[in-house]
Amino acid sequence: MMQDQTNVADIMMGDVVRLEDVLSRDSVTSVCKSFFGLFGLPVRVISHEGDLLADVHRDQPLCNYLNTLGEGERECARTVSVVRDMEPDVETIVHPCFTGAVYRIVPLEYQGRPIGRFIVGPYVPAESAQPPASLLSVDAGIDPATACAHFDTMPRVREHIAEGISAHLKGVLELLLFSGHRAQLASTMQVASVRENYRELAEKNEALKSSFEKLKQLDQLKSTFLATVSHELRSPLTSIIGYTEMLESGAAGALSDGQAEFLGTIRNKADQLLGLISSLLDLGRLEAKSLDLNHERIDPHALLSDLAATVVPTANQRNVSLDIRVGDETPKVWGDQVRVRQILLNLVDNAVKFSDQGGTVTVRAEDGEVDATGASGLGAALFTASRPAVVLTVQDDGIGIAEENLSKIFDAFYQIDAGTTRVHGGAGLGLSIVKQLVDGHGGKIEVTSTLGEGTIFTVALPAADEDA
Amino acid sequence: MQIDFAGKELTVKLVYYGPALSGKTSNLRAIHWLGTSNACGELMTLETQNDRTLFFDMLPITVSSGSGLKVRLKLFTVPGQVMHNATRRLVLQGTDGVAFIADSQRSEADANRESFLNLKCNLEENGIDPERIPTIIQFNKRDMDSIRTDEELELIAQRSREPIYKAIATRGYGVMQTLRGLIRDTWTKLEEDHQLEEKFGISPIRFMTEVEAKLKHDPGTGGR
Repeated sequence: MMQDQTNVADIMMGDVVRLEDVLSRDSVTSVCKSFFGLFGLPVRVISHEGDLLADVHRDQPLCNYLNTLGEGERECARTVSVVRDMEPDVETIVHPCFTGAVYRIVPLEYQGRPIGRFIVGPYVPAESAQPPASLLSVDAGIDPATACAHFDTMPRVREHIAEGISAHLKGVLELLLFSGHRAQLASTMQVASVRENYRELAEKNEALKSSFEKLKQLDQLKSTFLATVSHELRSPLTSIIGYTEMLESGAAGALSDGQAEFLGTIRNKADQLLGLISSLLDLGRLEAKSLDLNHERIDPHALLSDLAATVVPTANQRNVSLDIRVGDETPKVWGDQVRVRQILLNLVDNAVKFSDQGGTVTVRAEDGEVDATGASGLGAALFTASRPAVVLTVQDDGIGIAEENLSKIFDAFYQIDAGTTRVHGGAGLGLSIVKQLVDGHGGKIEVTSTLGEGTIFTVALPAADEDA
Repeated sequence: MQIDFAGKELTVKLVYYGPALSGKTSNLRAIHWLGTSNACGELMTLETQNDRTLFFDMLPITVSSGSGLKVRLKLFTVPGQVMHNATRRLVLQGTDGVAFIADSQRSEADANRESFLNLKCNLEENGIDPERIPTIIQFNKRDMDSIRTDEELELIAQRSREPIYKAIATRGYGVMQTLRGLIRDTWTKLEEDHQLEEKFGISPIRFMTEVEAKLKHDPGTGGR
C-alpha cells in the first residue's frame, strides 16, 4: 500500500522512477535487434540502476580467441566490467579496448535526470588499419597471425558514422521512453481519478447514511410521541364521555331541553375527538408494526350489509344514494374483521363525504387476484406470485382528485386542500391508516380519479382458502 | 517541492489552473514553442480526441545553475471541465505555485469566479493553505471581443492581492512574462520557507537572472 502511494506521489510530480517502468524489455530488444541487423553493431541498454534491459550482440572470434588465453581473458573481463559501470553525465564516452576496438557509451537522460545508457560496440574504428601493440602483447602465448586474422573480422565503422547512428538510436529510445511514460501517466491517472471519485462518493454516501439514520430516529421519536400523547389524551376523554353519558341519562337529575342539547353537543364533539385519538394510536402502532391482526374468514355479504347499516344514516343526511353489491362468486376474505371493516368504512365514509348532493356511491365485492410481489418489470411473468383475492371497489361521482395529488393521498396528515379540513373535518389520517392496514393484510390498494367525475378506490384483500 | 541535497537537485511543481477553455494548454504550448530547446523538454499532452485536456499537460524545464544546483521546473495544466474535479485535485497535489488562467471575456466572469473558488477548495483538500501558496492571475484572450478593458484590469490589479498579467496565449503574447512572474513569486516563497540561498548558495535575484537567460529564445536554434 505504501509503495503504491509513493508511486502515485512520483506520478503526481510527473517523473519516471525507473527506466524499466516505462520501457518494455521486449520493445527495447526488438529496436536493438533491428539496429544490429542494419549496422552489425552490438548494442546493450542498461538502466540507471544497472539492470541490463537489452543485449544484442554476436560473439566475436577475436574475443573468443582471447578468452582461451589466461591474461587475455582477464584483460577482456576487466574492460567489459569498466565499460558496464561507466555512466556518462551528459556527453558520450568512447572507451578504447586493448584490442584496438572501442565501446561507445551514450547517456539516456529524461526530463533533466539520468535514467540509463546504451553501449554500442565493441567495433573497430574504420580509421585504424592495424591491431595495436596492446593486443599482440596481452598474453605471452598469443599467436599474432591468428590475432590479426580475427582482428580483421571485427565490425568496422567510421567514427562520425558511429556517432550519427548512435544519435539516431538515442532518438528512437527517447521517443519510446516518452510514449511509454505518457501511457504510464495516463493509466495511473485513470486509476487514481477513479479512486478519488470513489473516495468522494463513499464520503457522500456515509454522510447520507448518517443523516438517514438521524431522520429514522426522529421518525421513531415522532411515533413514540404520538402514541404517548394519544394515550394520555384518551384517559381523561373517556371520563368526560362517561360523565356526559351519566348526565344525559339523568343520573344527576332531570335535564332541561337546553342542557340536554348542550350535553349532546359535548358528547358529539368528544366522540369526534376520541375517533381522532384512536386513529393516531392506530397510526403509531402501524408504523411501529406492533398492530396485531386476528385473521379469520369474513363473509363479504355480512361485511357489506353491516357496512350499509352504519353508513346509510350519513348518506341519507347528505342525500347520497348507496349501491352495494356482492358478486356471485365472491370468496370469503382472510383478514381481521374489525380492521377490514375499518378499511371499508373509511373509504365509504370518504366517498359519501366528497359526493355532491344527489350523488351515488357504489360499493362492490368481487373475486379477483392480488399480486403478492408487486413486480411489474422485465420477466414479471416469472416473478409474479398472485393469489386469489376479494376485490372491494368504492366508487363515487364526486369532486375527484387531481393526478399530481394521487401519489400523496396515502401520506399521513396529508390534505389535498387545507380548506377541506374545515368543510369535511378529519386530520388526513384515514387513508394513511387504510393503506397501512391493507398492506398489513398483504393486500393492495389503488386509486384512479378524474377531476369533476369521481374517484375509484380498489382494495384487493387475500381470499380465505376454500377448504380452511 | 522535492529536494535532493546529494544530487544538488530541486524539483518545483507549478500548476496552470482555470476554467475550461481559458487557455491553460495554449500557455504551455506557447512556452514550449518560445522557450529554448536546451531548457524545455517535450510537451506531454493527455487529451481527448477533440483536444480537450483529459488528465493534464506537462512541460518540464530544466535550469542548470552556475552554482551547480539543478532546478527542474514541472509545469502542469489541469482539465478545466467541471466533471474532472477529482483529476484536478490530484494534479494539484504538492504544487508550489499556481498560475490562474482567467478568460478575459465578460461572459466568462462567472466561470472564472467558480473555477477560482474550486481552486481554493481543492488546495484546502490537499492540505495547502490558499492564503500562502504563490498565485498569479493571467487574463488571457486579450484579442477577443467584449472583454474587460485594460482600464478595468488596471483597477482590478490595484485591488488584487495576486499579480495580474495579460496574455494572448495562442500568439505567445504575455506567456513568458506570466511564467517568469510565477517562477519569481514561487522562488521567493521557497526561499522564505527553505532558505535556499543558505543551502545552495544561490540568491533569488541570481536564480531569476539565470532563469531569464535560459528561457530567452535562442536565435541560433531558429525556434521549434
